[in-house]
Amino acid sequence: MRKNHYIMRFQKGWKIFIKNPLGKTGLFILFVFLIMAFASFFVPHIGPMYDPMTGTDPNIKVSTYPSLSHWLGTDNVGRDLFAQLLEGAKVAFIVGLSSAFISIVIGTAIGMISGYAGGIIDILLMRIADIIMVMPSLVILLILASIFGQFNIWIIVFIIAILRWPAVSRIIRSQTLSLKHRPFIEASRVAGASNIRIIFRHIMPNVLPLAFLYMTFRVTSAILVEAALSFLGFGDPSQVSWGMMLQWVWKTGHMFQAPYWLIPPGVCISLLTLAFYMLGRAMDEVLDPRLRKEGQA
Amino acid sequence: MRNQKFIFRKFIEIFTIFFIILTVLFFLFRLAPGDPVSKMVDPTLTPEDTQHMIEQLGLDKPAHIQYFIYVKNFFSGNLGRSFHYGEPVSTIIMDKLPCTVLLFTTSTLLAAFAGVFLGKIAAWSKGSGLDNFLSISALVCHTLFIPWFALLLLWILAYKVGWFPLGGIISPELWIDDASVFMKAIDVVHHMLLPLATLFFIHLGSYLLLMRSSMLSVLREDYIITARAKGLSEKVIRNKHAAKNAALPVITSVGLSLAFSINGGALTEQIFTWPGIGRELIFAVSNNDYPLAQACFLLIAAVVLIANLVVDLLYAYLDPRIRY
Repeated sequence: MRKNHYIMRFQKGWKIFIKNPLGKTGLFILFVFLIMAFASFFVPHIGPMYDPMTGTDPNIKVSTYPSLSHWLGTDNVGRDLFAQLLEGAKVAFIVGLSSAFISIVIGTAIGMISGYAGGIIDILLMRIADIIMVMPSLVILLILASIFGQFNIWIIVFIIAILRWPAVSRIIRSQTLSLKHRPFIEASRVAGASNIRIIFRHIMPNVLPLAFLYMTFRVTSAILVEAALSFLGFGDPSQVSWGMMLQWVWKTGHMFQAPYWLIPPGVCISLLTLAFYMLGRAMDEVLDPRLRKEGQA
Repeated sequence: MRNQKFIFRKFIEIFTIFFIILTVLFFLFRLAPGDPVSKMVDPTLTPEDTQHMIEQLGLDKPAHIQYFIYVKNFFSGNLGRSFHYGEPVSTIIMDKLPCTVLLFTTSTLLAAFAGVFLGKIAAWSKGSGLDNFLSISALVCHTLFIPWFALLLLWILAYKVGWFPLGGIISPELWIDDASVFMKAIDVVHHMLLPLATLFFIHLGSYLLLMRSSMLSVLREDYIITARAKGLSEKVIRNKHAAKNAALPVITSVGLSLAFSINGGALTEQIFTWPGIGRELIFAVSNNDYPLAQACFLLIAAVVLIANLVVDLLYAYLDPRIRY
């Protein structure tokens, strides 16, 4: 009985979502990038020449324009740029999704606890959230890189997540506050449910859609910060991300001579970010009936 | 009276927060692997100078005493010596700060004004072609990757067409030859236009979208219906009644999005080699110049906190409902 209820809600939301032009476009772009990311697993199997990090075409030693054997051309040591672009898609998804996921896990938990507990815990947690929220993530990552040296990609993911949970927790907290006084919560309290049980069993299912909505914004933020960090040269050097590609084209001085190298990574970063953002906005419309255009259910 | 108490409380708050940041930084620094001495003291100094620096920074003393020396040093303006420049860090920072402030405030003000103006128009003509155009452009601008956009501008407008210089803040020849103040000013503006344009477009997107949605929700309010019933012209309603109220969230968002602006500002400074604090921080981190990096970071943190304070106060001033 419960399962059907969730599925019905999802289907109803889906219908609204798919009508939204932002949602459609966003989903389509995301789909394209997903295909790219999956394709990156197969590319090295075509030939060692096409490995994004280590593959070099024996015939090519400098950066070249797109050709039949290298669809986007090569970088300055002869690596295939298209392979790098695909690999970058994979990295972007991994970084974006995992960072966002950790963010909303932390943010939702803290938001629910803060909203439900109220009082001094609430004030303290929200103060901390406020402080963290206003700190520029790139600057913090830079100073940490200065203290601790070069970072592994997962540490970057984790730090971005830690810097970004406050935005989620605020929303979850206000949602929790409004749910706290609903009759069904009162009822379960009277029935003797412990606080923890109330939070996780009753409040959480109602705040989760909101949490997932904000996850999309966290993804965009994570991708952009990782790209910026890699661009500046402080990313994980063992990962080929789009930011890394831009760093290479910049550092090797090819940025003015090689538009086929400069343009694609940047376009991809912007498009993917745009897609997630559109997705988020469309979901926003699903969740908040006031935003829907007139004539929709 | 109550206002004063409010302001005072806010001051204490940001001071405490800054202190916490200062302390956390200290602990992180000591937690890091490696030798603190080589991080804080220029490795090329002679042994006597090195010893002198160690004593001055208290690196040979136990941790809690070192902490007090650290705090004392900071508040007396002694931020250490930069390895790369060989000069006191405070001098370097004071040199670079005006450049960042200039670029930053100009771009933020321009973007905020334009964003409010265009957002107002977009919301007012909601659903029309103009609105769609503005909204989509704003969306695209908002999600552009800054280094890429900056490089693109640099490539097309500076490299290919040659309208703008490739970077820096001045053309040295002009300043050595002692040209007039007017020419010098023009030179700086000429160098500033590209970084300004980059920051302007990126922020315009978010301010426009924000103003638009804020305006849309204001237009649903009752007092707009009243204004219409009173027979006021559409223009008056739009500008005097709706826009003024809709602009409030945009002002707070300037403060909230400061983090985002600073990230973007640092990247822009780096690409256009604009000699500001952001670029200095990146430079210091690349060169393992820890005293400089630490000072830049603390300065940025202080600026963020102060800016938030200003925005809070401004908002309280503009919206009488929230004074407490």
